[in-house]
Amino acid sequence: MLRDGRLLVLAFSVFAVLTGFFLASVAEHQQVQQEKQAVGATAKEQWDTQGVKNPHAAAHFGIYVFKPDSPLAAVDPGLRQYTGQTLWLEPHKRNGARFSPAADQGLASRFGQASAGFVLYALLPLLVIALAFNAVTQEREQGTLRMLHSLGVSATKLLLGKFIGLLLAFVAVLMPAMAVAIVILYQNFDLAGDDILRLFTLSGTFFIYYAVFAALAMSTSIHFKSSRLALFTLLAFWSGSVLIAPRLGAAAAEMMVPTPGATAFWAGIKKDIQQGLDNDGDHDAREALFKAQVLKQYGVARVEDLPVGYAALNRNFNDGYSERVHALHFDRLRDAFERQGRFIHIASLLGPSIAMRSVSMTLSGMDLAHQRHFEDAAEHYRHYFIGLTDDWDRERSHGTERGAQGHDTDWGSVMAFSYAPPSVGFALHHALAELLVLLAWLVAALTWLLFSAKRLKP
Amino acid sequence: MLPNKTLLEARQLVVNYKNHRAIDGLDLSVPAGCVYALLGGNGAGKTSTINTFLGFNRPTGGNVFIDGESPEQNPAVVRAKVAYLPENVALYEYMSGLENLRFFCTLANIRLSRQHAHDLLVNTGLQTDAHDRRVSTYSKGMRQKVGLAIASAKQAKVMLLDEPTSGLDPSAANDFAQRVRAAADLGMAVLMATHDLFNAKQVADRIGIMKAGRLVEEFDAHTVAHDELEHKYLAHARGLL
Repeated sequence: MLRDGRLLVLAFSVFAVLTGFFLASVAEHQQVQQEKQAVGATAKEQWDTQGVKNPHAAAHFGIYVFKPDSPLAAVDPGLRQYTGQTLWLEPHKRNGARFSPAADQGLASRFGQASAGFVLYALLPLLVIALAFNAVTQEREQGTLRMLHSLGVSATKLLLGKFIGLLLAFVAVLMPAMAVAIVILYQNFDLAGDDILRLFTLSGTFFIYYAVFAALAMSTSIHFKSSRLALFTLLAFWSGSVLIAPRLGAAAAEMMVPTPGATAFWAGIKKDIQQGLDNDGDHDAREALFKAQVLKQYGVARVEDLPVGYAALNRNFNDGYSERVHALHFDRLRDAFERQGRFIHIASLLGPSIAMRSVSMTLSGMDLAHQRHFEDAAEHYRHYFIGLTDDWDRERSHGTERGAQGHDTDWGSVMAFSYAPPSVGFALHHALAELLVLLAWLVAALTWLLFSAKRLKP
Repeated sequence: MLPNKTLLEARQLVVNYKNHRAIDGLDLSVPAGCVYALLGGNGAGKTSTINTFLGFNRPTGGNVFIDGESPEQNPAVVRAKVAYLPENVALYEYMSGLENLRFFCTLANIRLSRQHAHDLLVNTGLQTDAHDRRVSTYSKGMRQKVGLAIASAKQAKVMLLDEPTSGLDPSAANDFAQRVRAAADLGMAVLMATHDLFNAKQVADRIGIMKAGRLVEEFDAHTVAHDELEHKYLAHARGLL
């Protein structure tokens, strides 16, 4: 491969394509992070300088929080295009992430969407196929396979040698681009130990993925008499794995596990808050019961006689119920997404690309599990700052008064949202099923290669 | 004097390809030191016979043996004893003759120093300045010489040649014949499928004519006259006998 120039041409092409896409991904990643930081700082400053106002009114000003993307998002931005970039935290309501880049882009820019991750999981298998499709057919066509057979060269030894040689050649082709990518990552981001672990795990997983394609390509080359037929068959498999299986899987998942649209989702939450869950009673009944409990607790007959602000107490009670309903619906929706994910895995029977794509997104911290982790942390923070403003409102008013006031010192005392992304262990736990699928593909592909070796005929 | 040991043997060999019978009850034996030339038209069964000795074809009936071993039962043992030269010796185009020789030998677990490889190529008559040239620049005769060098390196007991002089110019064919003869004189058993009557008469000890998978005539190459051989060959080819 080196002598016929194939390797050099491929190495140059891979270097150019991968580095180009990676630089574009890094630039986009940095731009997104800078925008998030800038908007986050502005929003925090606006929050801190609201002036004198009612604490609950201040809470309604809301706080924007942003998910800090892992440096590996420059390799695989995963669902970034489709999940929202920010969460707006406000009283009474748990919001979903908003402002997805895909929604903001024009039609033309959607045609140009591709990332380094896309090159790694979709295009590089084509390179493996290009290197391996004629590994045996060419020997058969040129007659060298007969020569090798007549020399008593073991077919298993020959094919394993070719397989290992192919993988080494492939790694050699990738090396320059990988080296540049690592330098770019190192120069542009503060790589933590966890990021490096994720990067190594991701590299190892991609290696397994390419080994699957290499073994399948070589086995196909054994079974077909002509290189052209082997190539067409492998291209069909590639299309099935990379292009068709994800769509089939998604269609099957949506059919088997339907999820509500946005309107129906929010309407369901509103209905449950209004009518109550199980035997909780409707909104008015719950409020009446709560009012009776509060009056009893403070030993007064009227809310006007309460030593604390009843509006804040009542709001706090209603918010608590609302949070319970929100959590129920959000969990139900996200569980449905996870069940859909499991259905999509069935399409992995058509090829290993779905599993690889999933592992790549998870290790890059750009999948639904990481998004859910962030949203849960944001929800926890929402409870914190809404609870704080409710405390000020309750403690600074009496009975039915609504005159509690807060100042900039209060707003400034609210801790900024600080998000600690989960560790690589979290990612591995969520990617376990897909990793097992990939390993199953590897075992199947190698078994087929060894089986094919025994049937190799010149 | 004891007769030489039989190294190549076919007993009542039958080979079918689906519904077509390629070899039909072939009995053949080639002792050490003997060059046996198989003549016959296209489809007579010559190449099928060689492929069966190589283990590429499975006998439908009968048996073949190389130095007493069956290619079907002990393919690795048999192939270690066999050198094979097809009509077009297939080599790796982007390697030199020397590299091809060493590469094939490495794959066959034969350790060959660079000097030894040079010596083997010199012995086959390949010009020294061609040793390190890519074989894509080689003529057919030069490729045959690399093939012969591989056979020598292997120290094979048996050589199977399939139309080895087809397409060679007379000088190259003569040169090749001499080297095959020399190999046989060192104790190798050689089975050569060919259309080339002249070459067969020149190099062989025994000559057999195949027709429709059967061995229909056998001659002592040293005693049969060229005219008689040609007459019989053409008569069988034209269906007159």
